[in-house]
Amino acid sequence: MFNYNFRWAQALDSLPRMLEGALITLEVALLSMVIGICIAMVLTMFRLSGSRILSAIATTWVEIARNTPALFQIYMVHFGLGSFGIHLSPYLSLLIGIAFNNAGYLAENFRGALKGIPDTQTRSARSLGMTPVQSFRYVVMPQMLRISFLPMTNQMVWAILMTSLGTVVAMNTDLYGVTSDLNARTFRTFELFAIAAVIFYVITKTVTLSARLLAARLFRY
Amino acid sequence: MFDTALTTNDLIFLAKGAGMTLIVTAISVFFGTILGVIFGVFRYQVGPWWAAPLTFVLDIFRSIPLLIQLVLANAFITTVLGIRVSGFTIACGVLSLYTAAYCAEIVRGGIEAVPSTLRRAARSLGMTWRQDMTSVTMPLAARIALPSWIGLALGVMKDSALVYVVQVVELLKSAQILITRLQEPLFLLMICGLFYFLISFPVARFGGYLEKKWSND
Amino acid sequence: MKTTIFAIGLMAATGAAAPAFADKLDDIIGSGTLRCAVVLDFPPMGSRDADNNPIGFDVDYCNDLAAALGVEAEIVETTFPERIPALMSNRVDVAVASTSDTLERAKTVGFSIPYYAFENAVVANEGVEMATWEDMKGKTVGATAGTYEAIWLEEQVTTWGEGEFRPYQNQADVFLALSQGQLDATVSTVEVAEANVASGNFPGLRIVDKAPMVPDYVGLITLREEYGLINYMDLFINQQVRTGRYAELYAKWVGEGEPADLTIPGVYR
Repeated sequence: MFNYNFRWAQALDSLPRMLEGALITLEVALLSMVIGICIAMVLTMFRLSGSRILSAIATTWVEIARNTPALFQIYMVHFGLGSFGIHLSPYLSLLIGIAFNNAGYLAENFRGALKGIPDTQTRSARSLGMTPVQSFRYVVMPQMLRISFLPMTNQMVWAILMTSLGTVVAMNTDLYGVTSDLNARTFRTFELFAIAAVIFYVITKTVTLSARLLAARLFRY
Repeated sequence: MFDTALTTNDLIFLAKGAGMTLIVTAISVFFGTILGVIFGVFRYQVGPWWAAPLTFVLDIFRSIPLLIQLVLANAFITTVLGIRVSGFTIACGVLSLYTAAYCAEIVRGGIEAVPSTLRRAARSLGMTWRQDMTSVTMPLAARIALPSWIGLALGVMKDSALVYVVQVVELLKSAQILITRLQEPLFLLMICGLFYFLISFPVARFGGYLEKKWSND
Repeated sequence: MKTTIFAIGLMAATGAAAPAFADKLDDIIGSGTLRCAVVLDFPPMGSRDADNNPIGFDVDYCNDLAAALGVEAEIVETTFPERIPALMSNRVDVAVASTSDTLERAKTVGFSIPYYAFENAVVANEGVEMATWEDMKGKTVGATAGTYEAIWLEEQVTTWGEGEFRPYQNQADVFLALSQGQLDATVSTVEVAEANVASGNFPGLRIVDKAPMVPDYVGLITLREEYGLINYMDLFINQQVRTGRYAELYAKWVGEGEPADLTIPGVYR
């Protein structure tokens, strides 16, 4: 009884705006990964430090990031911190929310990767006269990053997918935000989101493929 | 902060939301796992070339935000095709396929981790393919895959927070409804976060324990 | 002879075709339930009572419509951005959700005559200096995504060329952000603004000024091609006003005073 009329032309008119949104999505995902990796390194060192307080902080961070929904985390960054008077723009709320999540998952990956590196290596590095920081920086870290390269790629894909949660904190410049904004005006839900889906697919595939090429170059020896 | 306007009724309302989260998760993980095992075995068995179409389709579910999958499935089934189904059905359907896409990878990885020499040995003892699969490969593969599968199930539970877009009132949505009325965002969100944490954390720890225990022998 | 065959043929054709032409109005009466999309974070039009049951002007309006049709009402909660998709996806039969009758929307859905008319007000955080609506220039402002006032406000921000516009997913988040000071100001209907300021739930808010918009006429909506149902809703709205039920609901939910005039002088509908 219901005959749906596709209006692809109308939806395709919005393609330039959506592609701009896709750039923002990629930007947020990349930044959140960079921040996430840095924090994850710090958390990993906290766990290795032997200090009870530091490793408790790291464990709490990791467990909250891994055991609550990302949507919840992003919402908390915006409205939770907001009730303490810390006001973050939608962009920052989304970025920090995803970075928080990334850091938790990556720290866990790094820990798994460290298990694969024998203690003897650190000990021999130390006996060669390296400081603890040096032995971590030049011996352990390169191997750790190499082992966790694949999980890091997966996390990057998740970061891209997670940007779609920005609408709960009024983010309207990323790909999902732009699409839902257009949808609120024109109600061509299927057409608009189908185009968004294709763009997301292309982005994630490009990222995974380039990560694979990069890995082939970086780790060829 | 603990001086709250929350009543028993509101707690029941929240509990209903939590129940919805658990039901959606249980249904999706159940069907998703069955489908995932079938897809995973199929992909391993027919080789990458013949499995390419299936691989492609499953890959889509892992490359597009779940939120968009839900919106698209909802728009396609109900608006384009004009079929009358509930948001609950759509949520469970999409989440099942989403689970299956990840589960197929886990299953395939598990089977590949079983040494092929072992399988050849089983076959040369006169076992059929089916016997080899059920008595040798699957038990070993299951051990390897179980920790990842637990992680997946918990991931689906957390991702089920997104089914609010198809008008299913789950835990996070019911918390939002209460926030609208009571204006105690922090307190209510804490309860909500704590609930997810209390379910997810012990199970995740159990998964980690199994992984540790089984990796040593 | 020929005419008889023709007549029989015609009867057969209409007889066979008749069930296929049962429209939504018949479907609703046949199924015994009227499913209404109502937005429940929009007091006094829609909200929840202490037991979390839906209440409000729109909820009562839906119940009245169901009663007129002789069926049960079923309230389906939707957000503002979701109400038209919910209708399009056949999750609801009609939306009694304060939907502004814009021409853009009329390309997709069918509107009844207006059943209510809003005026919009500028609400600001007390910490922000503001005297008129034009002081919103250069500030961080927000509204509920996809609403009449959000579209107006976003256009204003674009024209001003400074400041920031943020679309939140629901009215509650807008007021939450406003009372936390994340937003400097918002534009919402006078009814909603007054109800939220009076509720005491959001400290630190004040109504600054009326927003210079054309009154926001809102209609009931259903699918574009359901003329039978649209006709019925038009008459229903007329009867609500005629019988005094409209004034009664206004007094119950909005308060003292004259309910908004639903006619536009100088033009036919």
